[in-house]
Amino acid sequence: MSTETMLFVPLLILIGGLFHIMPGLTRPDLFFAVTVAPEFRRSSAARRILGRYRAIVWIATLIASGMALAAGMAVAAVLLQAIGYLWGLVSANRAVRAYAAAPSAVLEVDLAAPRERLPGGLIVALLPVLSLAALGLWVGFHWDRLPRRLPVHWGIDGADRWLNTTPATVFGFLAVQAFVCLLLAGLAWGLLNWSRRISTTGAGAAAERHFRRRIVQLSIVCEYFLACPAWFALFQPAAAVMNVWGLALATAIIGFTVSLMRGGQGGSHATVAAGAAPVGDRTPDACWKWGLVYVNAADPSILVEKRFGIGYTLNFGNRWTWVVLALLLVAPAAGLILLR
Amino acid sequence: MIILRVDLKSPAPVYRQIVDAVRILLVNGDLSPGDALPPVRRLALDLGVHFNTVAEAYRTLEEEGWLEIGRRSGARVVPRTAQNRCDPQTGEAFERRLREMVAEVQARGLPRDRIARELRLLAKTLERS
Repeated sequence: MSTETMLFVPLLILIGGLFHIMPGLTRPDLFFAVTVAPEFRRSSAARRILGRYRAIVWIATLIASGMALAAGMAVAAVLLQAIGYLWGLVSANRAVRAYAAAPSAVLEVDLAAPRERLPGGLIVALLPVLSLAALGLWVGFHWDRLPRRLPVHWGIDGADRWLNTTPATVFGFLAVQAFVCLLLAGLAWGLLNWSRRISTTGAGAAAERHFRRRIVQLSIVCEYFLACPAWFALFQPAAAVMNVWGLALATAIIGFTVSLMRGGQGGSHATVAAGAAPVGDRTPDACWKWGLVYVNAADPSILVEKRFGIGYTLNFGNRWTWVVLALLLVAPAAGLILLR
Repeated sequence: MIILRVDLKSPAPVYRQIVDAVRILLVNGDLSPGDALPPVRRLALDLGVHFNTVAEAYRTLEEEGWLEIGRRSGARVVPRTAQNRCDPQTGEAFERRLREMVAEVQARGLPRDRIARELRLLAKTLERS
């Protein structure tokens, strides 16, 4: 059995475990992306639906692990596990619809709620992009000091993938890194400016602010980490530096993820603990397709809280979402065409 | 906390509900001259309504002399001096609307003593202000 398989199977089981606990992370009055009474979760019907979902997820995970172990079919295993998860979720979503409750039509907004800002301001969010631009300038003026080959991928033993040093590869590599950093900065900014605050009053508001701040911090921390490989490629430090970088990145992501999961979606666990009444997610059930895709042309938000899992998803009914998606697709495509 | 409530199931349009709710906050002194209101975009996102709905509400309040809307500074409460005069129709309209509202809530089952209590409370608040 190869080392990759030894690492891959536990990863599949870990993902299966995440799928297993996901229904418990959502807001208490949402069950499999359907608005329900908060006490519905404790009913026998809810337990039956949850049990069926988990059985599907674990059967898919076990078959996927078997495929990876016996035949080394990694891609097929991942696909099978994803299909199992989606099947479990969609069938549970359909089953829960029979117990749907009407969401509250009364909205409350605190007009004095503090404005949420990027930690450290826009400059902190854009610093990695600016640093890559500065690196590009430095490269332009010191071309003769570059090595003949640039490492662009690193394993445990050091660099394992290289590119020949040409203007197209160097500037293309820098452009890709800068684009990814810009994307993360945009995500952090968009989360604060293009998404709805579900609670702006009471304990729910504080918990939700904390939750959003954590996701924004995660985006910015990842941005700083992802700007590093460009510097490593050009200045080629010792392999140990890259290992420390990889370990620190993994630790940061795991730390933030655990913190987000402990708080629940939108900080709902802390809200419930404080005794505040759940308020749903202020989106109509009818606008959620299969509990996963949100399509609401009347909602000005581009990003909305996911109804299943942790984090945010796009509002595909908003035309600006499509503009953003088009930019996300066009920019890398244009980069690839220019590099050719 | 300065709470704005909007009922999406109410027959009154959301824009009208925002105007009415903010006006109550202004009249009661919960919002004072110099206070900033959330930007149109922010309030529309939080309420989940179109930007134009909130912009229209702010414009109405600006026309009534409650708000000043700047391109960069957003909506801000201003001291209201221009509309302290009152034309005769306003008094008549008030009386008519009050009677209509009382009749409506009575028809929907709200007890008379509850209505009277609310009106007395309102009258006391007005006398104090």
